[in-house]
Amino acid sequence: MPHPSPDTQQKQQTKTQKDVPWNVVVLNDPVNLQNYVTMVFKKVFGYSQSKAETLMMEVHRQGRSIVWTGGREKAELYVQQLHGWQIQTTMEKTG
Amino acid sequence: MKVLPTMEGGLCILPESEADWEELELICSDAVRPSHLAESLADLMDEQSEWDEYVVPDLEENFQSQTRFVNAAIENARKSQEAVVFISPAQAEKWYGALNQARLSLHARYDVEEMNETAHLDEMEPEPRSAYFRNRFYLLLQSMLLEFVLNREG
Repeated sequence: MPHPSPDTQQKQQTKTQKDVPWNVVVLNDPVNLQNYVTMVFKKVFGYSQSKAETLMMEVHRQGRSIVWTGGREKAELYVQQLHGWQIQTTMEKTG
Repeated sequence: MKVLPTMEGGLCILPESEADWEELELICSDAVRPSHLAESLADLMDEQSEWDEYVVPDLEENFQSQTRFVNAAIENARKSQEAVVFISPAQAEKWYGALNQARLSLHARYDVEEMNETAHLDEMEPEPRSAYFRNRFYLLLQSMLLEFVLNREG
């Protein structure tokens, strides 16, 4: 089996990095109201009241919650939206 | 000052004194650093995301537009004959955002959310004491916006 060229290796590595799912992680903060965070989860992700409340309570009790997992570009879009709602959010690779 | 829900699904604020108007005007004075807020959110992202370059300018503009809007609404209401500040359902998110900026800023400067649990108001210096009460007022307005306007829409 032929060895891939450095270029091919680089492309493969980049592709693999892009393929790794990313978590959108919301962090707890002392200012945002619980009802507000629940409302934002419903608006941004289209979650049900029940799912949005569960995630909000996870943020409140555990200090963070993974609210969505998927491709990098979409994760960045969600983070951007959550920042627009003034909610402390970051993203991290899964695994 | 009275704050009441309106028939159209918004809120109206009825200032009853000069001090009430001044209190309203302090919302935008307290939300002094929209750029700082946008940058602090960007700090949560890794450098590869290039958040500073691509996202922060939009966030700053968004946050500044909220405070500009609220500032103008209060100014116009004060000049009008009715002297009532109306918040329509379409305007509620901007108001909520400006109030949130003000509370985030007060928290950064005075740690007001901690004061809620441990406050000995009589012993406080005038400045943090005033910040404490402003934060309580902004929180009340936000709660009313959520209860009567934003969650009602959703």
